[in-house]
Amino acid sequence: MQRIAVYLCAGVLYALLMLVIWLLGTSQAEEKTEAQLDFAIQDYRASVAGAIDTMLGYIGKSAVRELREPKAYSREHMLAIAKSLDIDEINVVNRNGTIIASNDPMCMGVEMAGDRVMDEFMRLTNGVTESVSQPFRSHARNREVRAKYLAVAFPGGNGFVQVGMNERHLSTMLPLMLGYLFKNYRFGSKGFFLCANDTTDALVLNPSRHVGEAKTLAQAGFDHAEAKQYEIIGQKDLGSTFTQTLYGEKCYCRNYHFGAHRFIPALPESEYYDARAMFVGIFGSLLFIVILGGAFITDRILSDASRLKMFYRAEDERRAKDMEIAKTIQLAALPNAMPESPYFRLHATMQAAREVGGDFFDFFAINSSHIAFLVADVSGKGITAALYMMTAKTLIKDCLIAERDPAAALTKVNAELARNNAANMFLTAWVGVLDLETGVVTYANAGHNPPLKLSKNGGAKYLPAKSGPVIAFMEGVKYVPKTISLEPGESLFLYTDGVTEALDRKNTLFGEDRLLETIDSAPVDAPRETCEIVRNAVGRFANGAPQADDITVLGIAYISRPRMFSRSFPPVQAGISDAAAWLDSLDIECLTPGLLSTLHIILDEICSNIVRHSGASGFEVDVEELENAQGVKIVFIDDGVAYDPLAHADPDTTLSAEERPIGGLGILMVKKMSDSVSYMRSHSRNFLTIVKKATKA
Amino acid sequence: MQTETNLENGRLSVKIAGRLDTNTAPDLEAAIKLDGVNEVGFDIARLEYIASAGLRVLMSVQKKMMAVGGKMTIAGANDTVRNVFEITGLSSIFELV
Repeated sequence: MQRIAVYLCAGVLYALLMLVIWLLGTSQAEEKTEAQLDFAIQDYRASVAGAIDTMLGYIGKSAVRELREPKAYSREHMLAIAKSLDIDEINVVNRNGTIIASNDPMCMGVEMAGDRVMDEFMRLTNGVTESVSQPFRSHARNREVRAKYLAVAFPGGNGFVQVGMNERHLSTMLPLMLGYLFKNYRFGSKGFFLCANDTTDALVLNPSRHVGEAKTLAQAGFDHAEAKQYEIIGQKDLGSTFTQTLYGEKCYCRNYHFGAHRFIPALPESEYYDARAMFVGIFGSLLFIVILGGAFITDRILSDASRLKMFYRAEDERRAKDMEIAKTIQLAALPNAMPESPYFRLHATMQAAREVGGDFFDFFAINSSHIAFLVADVSGKGITAALYMMTAKTLIKDCLIAERDPAAALTKVNAELARNNAANMFLTAWVGVLDLETGVVTYANAGHNPPLKLSKNGGAKYLPAKSGPVIAFMEGVKYVPKTISLEPGESLFLYTDGVTEALDRKNTLFGEDRLLETIDSAPVDAPRETCEIVRNAVGRFANGAPQADDITVLGIAYISRPRMFSRSFPPVQAGISDAAAWLDSLDIECLTPGLLSTLHIILDEICSNIVRHSGASGFEVDVEELENAQGVKIVFIDDGVAYDPLAHADPDTTLSAEERPIGGLGILMVKKMSDSVSYMRSHSRNFLTIVKKATKA
Repeated sequence: MQTETNLENGRLSVKIAGRLDTNTAPDLEAAIKLDGVNEVGFDIARLEYIASAGLRVLMSVQKKMMAVGGKMTIAGANDTVRNVFEITGLSSIFELV
């Protein structure tokens, strides 16, 4: 598209410049034609003048030979000589410049020495100069007549003979002279001369190409009426050029009168066209090369530029896409369902900035009584940060599940991330684990903003800001575990610097004091409301100023100690016995003997399955009394092979005794005796959750 | 679990008390000697509950009795045990008295 435009522009430019060249070529051809015609006339005049000089010189020498010396010859003698030499005037001048003999009595006694016009002839008396020629001039007494004079010295400069011939007379000799001089004369490459008698129109000079074609100028095609328009009376040479069709060819002509003759140099129009064609051809070709080259270079430059532009556009799109992907990763990595529990309340949100800031939060149950929660902020932006965040998040979770202690977990996470930190990234994190049995939060801080504790009496307070280094910054960091105790109904509020460093339109920071004030007015045990209040406060504060960083908030409130019991057992038969004995020992309000027997059966079936088939390194049993003593929830957790007991078909219980296989009844019994059974595989563990209501026998 | 067995004229009476599960089923299995026995009578009035491991022992005895043309009776099952028999479809196979 662009290339077409470039070449189209080049074409238009070429056409315009060609028009200019054409016009220049035309004026150039006109000038050349004028110059050639000028030159032809000058050449003609010079040639004719030369021929006349030669002729008059010859005549003068003849006269000198005839007269021998300056003497006062009789008029008759002089007339006879003039006649024999066919000249109009002949004077014999003595050494002193006095005409002493002449064919014209009016000339007798005229003194040449000191004369305005004739003094130059006196050079002939110096004994060296042989002849002096004068250009045509008006006759001394008859101004109508133009004549030419030439004088030849007597031997020794002893006087001279002056001969004169008037123009009309001389022009009668033109045919002879022109035939000799101009028969094959050309100017330009096709220009030619015509010469005709003014009165008879008879051609006295035919161009050699057209000999015999015409006898008169009119026959040659000359339009006298037309030519007359260009004649200016009294002018010999009509300076302006006109056109005539001569010998069937249109020609540019001039008119030059000499005596009784009209002399016409003619330049065929084709020559004029040829001149223009040559000019246009040469400069047109040059122009073509220049324009084509220019278009080619322009096209290259433009296409390079457009390639560059496309590259940048693609780059922009790619970055936007990267950001989108990064944001998707970031958002997808966050838990989206808030946990529901009678023992704690947790709420968290992450409000992503337009460009990814790398915040994340996480929460999960390490086991039935330990809830892990954290907020973190990864340095950097884009996909790298998002992927780094994924890695960090997974690593923290894995380490927390394995270690249970936040400080130990972060120490391990740091060791892992600092070792392979090619991207030079780091993150801050605040990680806590709430023990539902005691309300104690064990936590570790890796360079993160201190959370707030919301107490029932005493309002909100920041936790100590003292912190370990950021994660992944250097190897060998050991984080220190700290604890803070929550009474039932108290909560912690975690956030990232997107909150405290939010800016308003005047670039004022939201700040920690403002956050403390905001939190002070929030309910102590309702994290959802607290998060909302803080986010609204930040939004109002920013008042339309762009959000520079992700805004992440997380609140967790401790509600009550769960009626929950948890114990791990070795994967052997003795472990099952221990589990049964432990079940008997539990202080659970709703346990009737019948319910206890049912729980024992369930425990025996599930545990024996785990022990016999799973290859687990151990199993954990969590027993939790449902609210209002409505029943019991038991969770069996093992790290053996993935096994979903619910995925298998029930055995056929209608078969006769002979047909019935022994075995496969355990799971069936569990299912039939429970109110609900659900299975989940998570973190390489099997979670089988069974609910048994107290009312059911 | 406690067991008490008494063999009389080819009839073996077995009293079971306590819990019959994976832990105790092997003991029961070891206690029951069926040589020359053509009738087994279980008295489970003092059995707290029975798990599938215990059912397996009972089914094994039932099959052996049927093979020799004998019989097996179960007496005194509590609600929990009866419920287990019904869930597993064994109440229609065992002769409950």
